[in-house]
Amino acid sequence: MSIETLLSGQNRDGGWPYVRGGSWTEPTVYAVLALTASGETQAAARGVRWIHTTARRDGGWAPYAGVEQSTWVTALVTLLPVGLVGKSSHAGGIEWLLGTTGKESTGLYRLREWMLGNARPAELEFPGWPWFPGTAAWVGPTSLAILALEKENRRKPSRRIAERIEEGRRFLLRRPCRQGGWNHGSVQDLAYDSRPYPETTGMALAALRGVHSPVVDRALEVAGGFLGECHSADALNWLRLGLIAHGNLAAGYCPPEVPCRTLSESSLDLLVAEEQKGRSLFWG
Amino acid sequence: MRRTHGTSGFGITRREWLAASAAAATLTGCAGPAVPPEVPAQVSIVRATEYDQGLYDTVRRTIDEHRLDVRGRRVVVKPNLVEFEPHNVINTHPLLVHAVCEAFRSMGAASVQIAEGPGHRRNTLDLAEAAGYFKTVPRFEEVFVDLNLDDVSRVRPSRRFSRLEELYLPNTVMGADLLVSVPKMKTHHWVGATLSMKNLFGVVPGGVYGWPKNVLHWSGIDECIADLDALCPRRFAIVDGIVGMEGNGPILGAPKAAGVLVAGRDPVAVDATCCRVMRIDPARIKYLRLACGERGSRLPEGEVHQIGEQIRSVATPFALAPEFQSIRLT
Repeated sequence: MSIETLLSGQNRDGGWPYVRGGSWTEPTVYAVLALTASGETQAAARGVRWIHTTARRDGGWAPYAGVEQSTWVTALVTLLPVGLVGKSSHAGGIEWLLGTTGKESTGLYRLREWMLGNARPAELEFPGWPWFPGTAAWVGPTSLAILALEKENRRKPSRRIAERIEEGRRFLLRRPCRQGGWNHGSVQDLAYDSRPYPETTGMALAALRGVHSPVVDRALEVAGGFLGECHSADALNWLRLGLIAHGNLAAGYCPPEVPCRTLSESSLDLLVAEEQKGRSLFWG
Repeated sequence: MRRTHGTSGFGITRREWLAASAAAATLTGCAGPAVPPEVPAQVSIVRATEYDQGLYDTVRRTIDEHRLDVRGRRVVVKPNLVEFEPHNVINTHPLLVHAVCEAFRSMGAASVQIAEGPGHRRNTLDLAEAAGYFKTVPRFEEVFVDLNLDDVSRVRPSRRFSRLEELYLPNTVMGADLLVSVPKMKTHHWVGATLSMKNLFGVVPGGVYGWPKNVLHWSGIDECIADLDALCPRRFAIVDGIVGMEGNGPILGAPKAAGVLVAGRDPVAVDATCCRVMRIDPARIKYLRLACGERGSRLPEGEVHQIGEQIRSVATPFALAPEFQSIRLT
């Protein structure tokens, strides 16, 4: 996949669609990161201008123009270099992330459960992040939020951020599938063990960079197995990133030829290739 | 690259239709044009025991019985795609979906698209490929829309059952002249049975709400099914009961051959009939009770005009999880 694909896929408004149609925040963030890495600064700047149209007053970001709600994509926007998105916008995004948890971790919900006499399951002890406010925390948005906060904590260390990262990581460490790795975040299904997915296993491993744990070790084995049998560009992108995070991707590894189905996948493919070369846009 | 918006079949462009619908929804609090009640509810049960070439003729004859006029209209076919397991019975069989598409094309539909937005997996096209859709449906990528990533519009249910005041829904679905729900006949570990109405969870965009679409769970699953039923009024249903799923559905259950297709315009009547085939009491399925009566929909067996096979001749008890024994039809 090439930078030309991204340039030709840019909408007139400056953003990118997932496949075709209107601009969405997620593909636009990944495209901006990939173009920035390639020195295509003009197209990236137009992308950033579009992203600003989805900014919300609460500091978060909407996934699509016209959606009046800050969501999980706020983590993605805060992954952008501060110099691109602007200091106050970036700070607003970080604050939004720090103030957001899954609904099951809110004081009101805990009080309700306590009053009903419901025991609190171990996997709910630590707060993760939801896809959409007012709902539960899941593996995907929690992993992305940790990536964003980790990047911010490297840029500008903060105890508050470090503590929230730690909570999020503990959330992930409590949610692996029995066979190792992660799915969307549901460990059991009517007493049956749920199976892990390659893409969420890769995402969680990326978020657990630097963490040593039997859960991580088992997940790395699972991810290695997925890498050899997977035919999804999205899954391969995240698996590669997750394995790179732990130094477990073989030097010179070349992914199999699989089609990128969306512009997000194309951009991520380019970004992960940069990570393989040692140029980090996720942790740098 | 932008999607080309065709005409809706009502003499206006798709873009005009969407704009007019949005304006009407704002003014009246109601999404989409009203449709006249269908009296009586007609449901057909057709024997089909194999996923083979004979299915094309069976599906065409089944749809013909319902006298749908889709000439010049835009048809969107919504299968149930859940997981990457081609040898399991989680997903609607691609041959059935292709047969449905071919039937509507041969009936003169202006366009027939396949559209789905899985609830757990983000890589929808990869999932469709693993489920056999690329091999079965020619030029699949050209006719397929990932509803998780489609452009969306805000809509407000005309009749609210859940706490949701509004939803963002895909333009492909809201602009369809006919939405054809083609689910797998399965038991469901939360709502008892997942059929043509529960299949509408797949129209809620993951790009906005995430994977899973957890906002629907927190707002009440049964109530949200009824909301979506109200939001998508122009529908037809063909349920894949050739081989369904029993036990811990909709993902971890076991295959169960019922050897039937169940079809009709009234989703409540179709799903209630499926329940009776599965030996589940439809009156104990909450979302069916909620939606019963909406747009003239029918739940009681005596109010459904049954054609084709009789329920008793095809009844196939689906195993139920211990938690759901109380919904067994006695």
